[in-house]
Amino acid sequence: MAEPNQLPPGWEAHWDQTHQRFLYVDRESGQQQWEHPLENQPQLAFAQERQAPVANTKRRQYAVDQAAAYSEPVAQYADSSYPPQNIQQPVTPGYPQTFTPGEPQQQSYYQEQQQQYPAQPAYGAGQLADQFSGLGIGGQKPLALHSVNLLTTPPNPLELLAPPPPIRLPPGASILDSPLANADPSYMRCTVGAIPKTAALRTKSKVPLALVLSPNRSLGATEPPVPVVTDTVIARCRRCRTFINPFVQFVDGGSRWKCCVCNMNNEVPQLFDWDSVNNVQADRWSRPELSNGVVEFIAPTEYMVRPPAPLTYVFLVDVSHSAVQSGMLAAACRTILENLDRIPNEEARTKIAIIGFDVALYFFTLLADATEPSMLVVSDVDDVFLPQPSDILVNLTEARAALEALLAKLPSFFAESQTIGSALGPALQAGFKLISNTGGKMVVLTASLPTLGVGALKAREDVKLLGTPKESTLLQAGDTFYKTFAIECSRATVSVDMFLFATTYQDVASLSCLPHYTSGSTFYYPGFNAARVEDVKTFVHEFGEFLASPVGLEVLTRIRASTGLHRSSFHGNFFLRSTDLLAMSALPQDHSYVIELEIEETINAPYVVFQCSNLYTTAFGERRIRVTTLALPTTSNISEIYASADQVAIAAYLANKAVERTLTHKLEDARDMVTKVVTDLLNAYKETVTSAGGQLAIAHNLQMLPLLALGLLKHVALRPSAQIPSDLRAYAHTLFTTLPVQRLIPYLHPTFYALHNMPPECGTIGEHGVILPPALPLSSEYLERHGLYLMEDGLTIFLWVGRDAVPQLMMDVFDLPAYDALRGGKYTLPLLENAFSQRVNAVIGKIREMRRGVYYPPLYVVKDDGEPSLRMWALSTLIQDRGDQTPSYQQWLGQLRDKIASTGY
Amino acid sequence: MGGEGWLFLFAVLMAAALLFTSVFFIIMFSDLECGEHYMNPIDLCNKLNQFVVPENLAHAFLCLLFLLSFQWTALLINAPLLAYNVNKVVITKTHTFDATEIFRTLPQHKKESFIRLGFYLLSFFYYLYRMIVALISESE
Repeated sequence: MAEPNQLPPGWEAHWDQTHQRFLYVDRESGQQQWEHPLENQPQLAFAQERQAPVANTKRRQYAVDQAAAYSEPVAQYADSSYPPQNIQQPVTPGYPQTFTPGEPQQQSYYQEQQQQYPAQPAYGAGQLADQFSGLGIGGQKPLALHSVNLLTTPPNPLELLAPPPPIRLPPGASILDSPLANADPSYMRCTVGAIPKTAALRTKSKVPLALVLSPNRSLGATEPPVPVVTDTVIARCRRCRTFINPFVQFVDGGSRWKCCVCNMNNEVPQLFDWDSVNNVQADRWSRPELSNGVVEFIAPTEYMVRPPAPLTYVFLVDVSHSAVQSGMLAAACRTILENLDRIPNEEARTKIAIIGFDVALYFFTLLADATEPSMLVVSDVDDVFLPQPSDILVNLTEARAALEALLAKLPSFFAESQTIGSALGPALQAGFKLISNTGGKMVVLTASLPTLGVGALKAREDVKLLGTPKESTLLQAGDTFYKTFAIECSRATVSVDMFLFATTYQDVASLSCLPHYTSGSTFYYPGFNAARVEDVKTFVHEFGEFLASPVGLEVLTRIRASTGLHRSSFHGNFFLRSTDLLAMSALPQDHSYVIELEIEETINAPYVVFQCSNLYTTAFGERRIRVTTLALPTTSNISEIYASADQVAIAAYLANKAVERTLTHKLEDARDMVTKVVTDLLNAYKETVTSAGGQLAIAHNLQMLPLLALGLLKHVALRPSAQIPSDLRAYAHTLFTTLPVQRLIPYLHPTFYALHNMPPECGTIGEHGVILPPALPLSSEYLERHGLYLMEDGLTIFLWVGRDAVPQLMMDVFDLPAYDALRGGKYTLPLLENAFSQRVNAVIGKIREMRRGVYYPPLYVVKDDGEPSLRMWALSTLIQDRGDQTPSYQQWLGQLRDKIASTGY
Repeated sequence: MGGEGWLFLFAVLMAAALLFTSVFFIIMFSDLECGEHYMNPIDLCNKLNQFVVPENLAHAFLCLLFLLSFQWTALLINAPLLAYNVNKVVITKTHTFDATEIFRTLPQHKKESFIRLGFYLLSFFYYLYRMIVALISESE
């Protein structure tokens, strides 16, 4: 926004906190306005011209304009009454009258533009819609660094909902100064908002450097869709292949553009300013890729090695005794049946196959005209073959009737099954044979440990190993098949998803390898029992949403970064095919990826650019490229690194790093790594910023980091304990590497609400949907004996009932006469005819739907004096309390302080 | 030329061959790292994995020859590497390159290959020296 220091006499500028811009006041007349007083008169005409670009047919004539502009650029500037500083902008002189990057005179236009954009997708409940107002507006003021003393500042859960510190790009960095030039933090964020210029500075600051990205995140109902460039004119850098983005500069009068990643000058494509639909001149500046950090291109045929593959699903369904008995088979079949309409199928191309397996494989032929499915049994699982070349994989639309008949009858075919054992490996091979030439998705639903054929696993969990250094071996793949087969799948762009239901040992660690390297998802329902309504509801909801989510296929993802920045390590679900190329068989919604960065050489540029491009096939058979761009300023000032650090991104980095560390080393090492990062950071902060003794200082924007790290150390994924089954740990690890930050943060730092005394407006519908009660600090000292509390980590909800809960409360919420009549455990809360019950239900409903991802957390009612294990589980969400072998928050801070003191600084 | 001369001549040739394998490994790893000649990690690992066991077997065979011919010094020099190889191939079975992990473990693999290279180079000159010494002592 305009600089306030160049005001005509009599004017004053006031910084407006709520709108994050300057308010200009004329002292004499009392007139107030948002626009800079100097930019009203001469700019008005240009603004109007910009409003109606199509009407101006002369726009294509660059040469004429350029010549004129080159001949007298100075005169032009001299005419307008701008202060001389503005001329020194890195501006192409050919465009003074239409556009000058970063110059304040464009402001009036962009203010309008800004108002046109609807509220930004905000982190959390959407109440932070103005988070963008400070972005892309030039870096006049450096971020102020406020230190807080952790020892005297109690953690405030609201800090976690705040957006990351604003990105202060130098003026003119983004070509159109659009508020959307930088990708929203929910798409891409960095652990720091200002990149250190040298590796030495990074090391000195001890702030980890990593990108956290979630390029295919789901959109809320009120969010605008990602803009799509439909004319297949794709400008890319010749050298580094970066896509044109809001941070490039046009040179040579607009006929060339300078790549912001490698500084190469490139030709602007011929049709870049041409509207090929109407065959008229188009306004270059209205191209979405020049104003949006997240944009999608429709790819021309050069981006295809074969015609875009149809969406293909192969369901591999366990039909053994355990699957039938737990009710998984029936629930799965019913869910697929009910969601056949929701599976993306706009072009009627989607294909489906269903294969059952226990100790043999069961194929089903689905003929378009037959309503009675016929079953083919293959009992030779050592050498898998397809019993019939066709009619097993069928078109969803054509064979709809047969599919419906099959899904309705499938559970009854195996209702009496007593077979124990599972030939999952051979079933996977069969499914792979079916779709290896087109790629697609294999969805595995199994309730037993694979015991037969390739990929057979042993029940290797030995309780004696738990809690020992050898525990991490249980978290690695138990059989090489799950890695080699995953690579095969990745090559054929086959993605595997796992839905696991076993009541006993399932070996999640091995089975989750397949989704890990093929960009699938793992879902684990320990002890699933369809007799429990809540179990079914959770599974049916998650599986249904999973089937309905629009998925990308045949994905290639590349992460580019400005010269000097090296992408050193990648975390998430994909197969790393080259140093910056991620092969993904599918582009699932709401998966998150963490990319570690290293500074290889000194960065001289004032800002750096990161770009993630996903080339993928949409569910409706279109080849598209989603380009996500983030520009960050560079700095040589250490306090700016601290002031711009993003604690949420650092926590996501730590979680991913801890998982990697566990697999390559030991759980103990992973915990040590987390402690070391936090200690080093505090230590470096103390050394470089504050020197006051007796306190534990950290930047204001990092004050929740120690608690997040403690949450990580206390998490079921890392906590030292001899009682945590390796399946639960392995599942938590897969979630760490895939959950989007919006869900990962509550997973590390649960939310805790008091419901019995929540303010009257909570649970009612407000401006941003249901109003949630204020979050309490995660400490059991807030638990009162007569209260009703809710703890949730995004994947589980606990409703804690105090033992002295009054009968009225019990009546209102549970429709039960007294506390004693209440049964703990999984629970479906009745919706009663009273305001309180409706408000509590509304809060729970809101918690279930407010975050991205398909998860539907089940609700547990926990009685204060109820079952000890459930009680302990619920209390483990209160991470500020002292745990079995883990410190309380105060003790943890004490440990950190002692560590820092003992290092002798 | 006596037995010792022949033995060390063979050892020199063997060391040269092992030297070439190490160089080959390093070149392949560098190719993968710089990514200029687009190198697929799956193919790379499949290719390199063919050479791991033969390389180790060749080295073990050389050690066996030293043992049988009572060349204690030469055996002693080679013993640490032999022990390392046996541990890797026979006991922990971590000798194969894993395509899913290759980029993360690449610096480690490169370092190991360089150390092997250095070792084979030194042993090459040592065998050469011993061969010459053996030839001279015979001719005297």
